[in-house]
Amino acid sequence: MAIINQATKELQVKIVYYGPAMCGKTTNLVKVHENIQTAREKGKLVSLATSSDRTLFFDFLPIEAVSIKGFKTKFQLYTVPGQVIYNTTRQLVLRGVDGIVFVADSQYEKMAENVESISNLEDNLRTLKMNLADIPYVVQYNKRDLPNVAPVDYMEFLLNNREIQVPSFSATAHQCEGVFETLNMITRMLLHKFINESTRKTA
Amino acid sequence: MDGALNDLLSKSEATSAFVLDKGGFLITQCGDTRRFDTTTLGALAAAMYAATQGIASLVSEINFSSVYQQGENFSILVQNVDEHCLLVIIFKAQISVGAVKYYALTTLTLVAKQLQTAQARSPEEGLDLSALNIADTADLFRKKQA
Repeated sequence: MAIINQATKELQVKIVYYGPAMCGKTTNLVKVHENIQTAREKGKLVSLATSSDRTLFFDFLPIEAVSIKGFKTKFQLYTVPGQVIYNTTRQLVLRGVDGIVFVADSQYEKMAENVESISNLEDNLRTLKMNLADIPYVVQYNKRDLPNVAPVDYMEFLLNNREIQVPSFSATAHQCEGVFETLNMITRMLLHKFINESTRKTA
Repeated sequence: MDGALNDLLSKSEATSAFVLDKGGFLITQCGDTRRFDTTTLGALAAAMYAATQGIASLVSEINFSSVYQQGENFSILVQNVDEHCLLVIIFKAQISVGAVKYYALTTLTLVAKQLQTAQARSPEEGLDLSALNIADTADLFRKKQA
């Protein structure tokens, strides 16, 4: 759950990148870290990974958006380990999540894994007494540069076919295409959510 | 809350103390915090504690209320405050963990009480975030130009 620190005028928000194994969640964070334009000191990217560079627990990147009228907005980006066996770890990382980026692998042969992963996300949120419908989230169709990719419409039908369609982005994360578009959309959705909630409460 | 943490630091001679949300957010910090990356430390300490709770449930324990890591230079103690928060204490390795735990007991009670007071202050009252309501947030994070 986001923290609003009234004393320091800070809003701290947690965003989790979720998706099947090897879909590019860590690459998204690496590219944000490498390419972000910031006047402030850049947060460190921490990866708790195995010796073969697979995420074991999570990756973590704290970033601060521009201060708006003296109000600091701090975002903490996390990834989960995609491998099926690490489900308990995914549940731990999801605790207190405010927004989700679902990263899907666009290759045809990965469709079953994408569907399984989004259904696993819903199950894990349920164990935390949360509901995907209540959480701002966006979908990213990654690896669009590969030859055997499924059409975006087909992926939308499979992964973004709920009552309310969420924003989705095509991406090639390793070339940093679509990475910032995805990040800006989820932060925008989160800020709007908090602004609306605060307006309702202060009204 | 800062008063309680500072009191703990002076009595136990610990280096620094933080109060964290269990999601990894830093609520307050006291002592010599410049030498540590407290944002990352907060996220990792919360994750470490959460993992320990997972282990507790696997061995049929309700919870392990603290995690202690002993180092060569510094040691770290993470203790449960309440349902939502943790207390993290970093202290020199030569200081006895028993002494730190002993002084932390009072701090835990004070911090928990303070958090309860803060929550009860006016739970329905929100914070006016309208200052953040800029028309276009598309460029919150900008990509470096090649």
